[in-house]
Amino acid sequence: MNSQLITMNLYGVGDLEFKRNLYVLISCIVVCILFAEGLAEWHYSGFGEGWRLVTSVCGVLGAVGVILLGWYWLKLAWGITSITRELKQERAGAGACPSIKLNGNAVLNELSEAINDRLGNSGSYIAELEKQIKDLQIQIQLSKRQKVNTEAIIYSIRDAVVVIDEFDKLLMANEAAGKLFSFDYKNSQHKPIGELVGPERGGFVDFLRQSRRSGVRHTRREINFSGDGKLKTFDCIVSCVYNPKGWEPKQICGVVAVLHDITREKEKGEMKNDFVSRVSHELKTPLASIAAYSEMLLDGEARDGQTRKEFYSVIQSQTKRLNRLIEDILNTSRIESGLIKVEKKPVSLTILIEEQLQMIKGYADEKNISLSWGDAGGKPIVFDQVYADRDMISQVIVNLLSNAVKYTQPGGSIKVETEVDEIANLARVSVTDTGVGVDEENIEHIFDKFYRAGADKSQAKGTGLGLNLVKQIVEKVHNGRVFVTSQVGVGSTFGFELPLSPEAYLVNSES
Amino acid sequence: MAEGKVLVVDDEVHIIHVVTIKLRNNGFQVISAENGADGFKLACSEKPDIVVTDFQMPVMTGLELVEKLRQSEATKDIPVIMLTARDFAVEDEQKQELQILEFLSKPFSPKELLRSVEDILYHKEIKEQDVKTKITY
Repeated sequence: MNSQLITMNLYGVGDLEFKRNLYVLISCIVVCILFAEGLAEWHYSGFGEGWRLVTSVCGVLGAVGVILLGWYWLKLAWGITSITRELKQERAGAGACPSIKLNGNAVLNELSEAINDRLGNSGSYIAELEKQIKDLQIQIQLSKRQKVNTEAIIYSIRDAVVVIDEFDKLLMANEAAGKLFSFDYKNSQHKPIGELVGPERGGFVDFLRQSRRSGVRHTRREINFSGDGKLKTFDCIVSCVYNPKGWEPKQICGVVAVLHDITREKEKGEMKNDFVSRVSHELKTPLASIAAYSEMLLDGEARDGQTRKEFYSVIQSQTKRLNRLIEDILNTSRIESGLIKVEKKPVSLTILIEEQLQMIKGYADEKNISLSWGDAGGKPIVFDQVYADRDMISQVIVNLLSNAVKYTQPGGSIKVETEVDEIANLARVSVTDTGVGVDEENIEHIFDKFYRAGADKSQAKGTGLGLNLVKQIVEKVHNGRVFVTSQVGVGSTFGFELPLSPEAYLVNSES
Repeated sequence: MAEGKVLVVDDEVHIIHVVTIKLRNNGFQVISAENGADGFKLACSEKPDIVVTDFQMPVMTGLELVEKLRQSEATKDIPVIMLTARDFAVEDEQKQELQILEFLSKPFSPKELLRSVEDILYHKEIKEQDVKTKITY
């Protein structure tokens, strides 16, 4: 604010009131002189030459007075024009500060001073308003930025987020919510949530309303929606939003719903429960045989040596079966936790296969299943040493063989083939059975943990760990690869490839 | 020495074997099947006095076998003992509805199984004698 007061120097510095009175006095004198002159003129003829002089002086004084008044009023008009021009310039925004400068007329100076005062006050007021506007603009900018940040945060959340007001109209939703409820999440503000989510998801809207009416800060419920062609389960947490602190009356101004897809977790939970149940069954089955045969031996029910020998043999085979199952469970856990001790060294696949075939022979004979093995194409195997953990690869082979026996009907056959690919530097083992086979839908999940093909559930018992363990050992521990081909009703081929032992390959090449 | 024909249905051949020996040693005639479907066929053709079946089996589960037995006029009254490695696999209401008289959890005792078979057949015999007496009078 740079306003200045008018400079008064026309008649020198003096009292303004006095000067105003002086003007009034001069005006009165002029009027009196003019009146006296007129009176003298009227008496001119009767009173002689002396009155003529008086009238002449009065005339001169009157003329001077008129000139002075004219000059005064011109000065006044000039001052008013200046003030008007100054004010116009101010309005046109010529300057930020209202300031009128006049030199001369004291009355005008007083007027301009008053205007300056007024303008000065108005300027302060305007400046204050301008400051407030700037503050508000900053606040708006900050609010906009905060809104953008909030939206960015909400949009980035993987879970579906829906925010509605107290009238059940949408305030905000993120992409996941738009995808879940199939609406344009960016352009659906202020639309009723019921219309956006659709009548088939009315349960969700009812839940939002109930939560808002109850006034409970957080409520939680599992909600099922159909999406992507299958039923999905969501953990829905609804939070009531109250007025900010200090706002009266305190009431709910909106509701925020976060929907977390727990379909996979639920499936995993069910799979784990099912797994525990199946493991318990699988453990109890050989245990039942061991317990029953032991009791029979103790009770003397095995009445001859042959029967006793048979009973001991069953106890032994069932103990091995139990041990195999426990090893499967433990090894799966160990591999997953990374705690398994791996002792890799050059191992002959031929020897391992022969050992495991001997081990499984009794089980195959029980079901009258024939076992055979040889190299693919009938070519002799030059070498088949892989750099591997002997026990683990034995477990892989026995798991594949026992699976083949398990899923092959009595009278069927199982063929084991080995192949060495010197170009790719790997050994391949495949186990082909004439079992029930696996359909296309199930085959892609056949190596998944706890997974058992739909048909398998009625075909044979199992934990769903065996093939997963094969995959873990071959691929995670030995950098190999598992494979499967199958045809329902014809049979399946399960197998694996392992890199050949580098040392063995070197020795073989030299020889 | 007890008498009677027992049908044993289990996919574990060792269990069939041990139960067969236990029951045969105690005077029962034993027939067996390795799955529910074969078990049902045998039950229809052989009309056993009692069925001892496993719960989880390929092709047809033990529960499905009992349901089929109850649906057929020829087999609907045959008492059933179920062997199961899974606890609480069957609800109490279902047990009553299917008239499963005994559940034995695996590992089970062959002696206990024999006792259950003898008890059930004894009560069955008394019941049949009562019916015959009533008809005579």
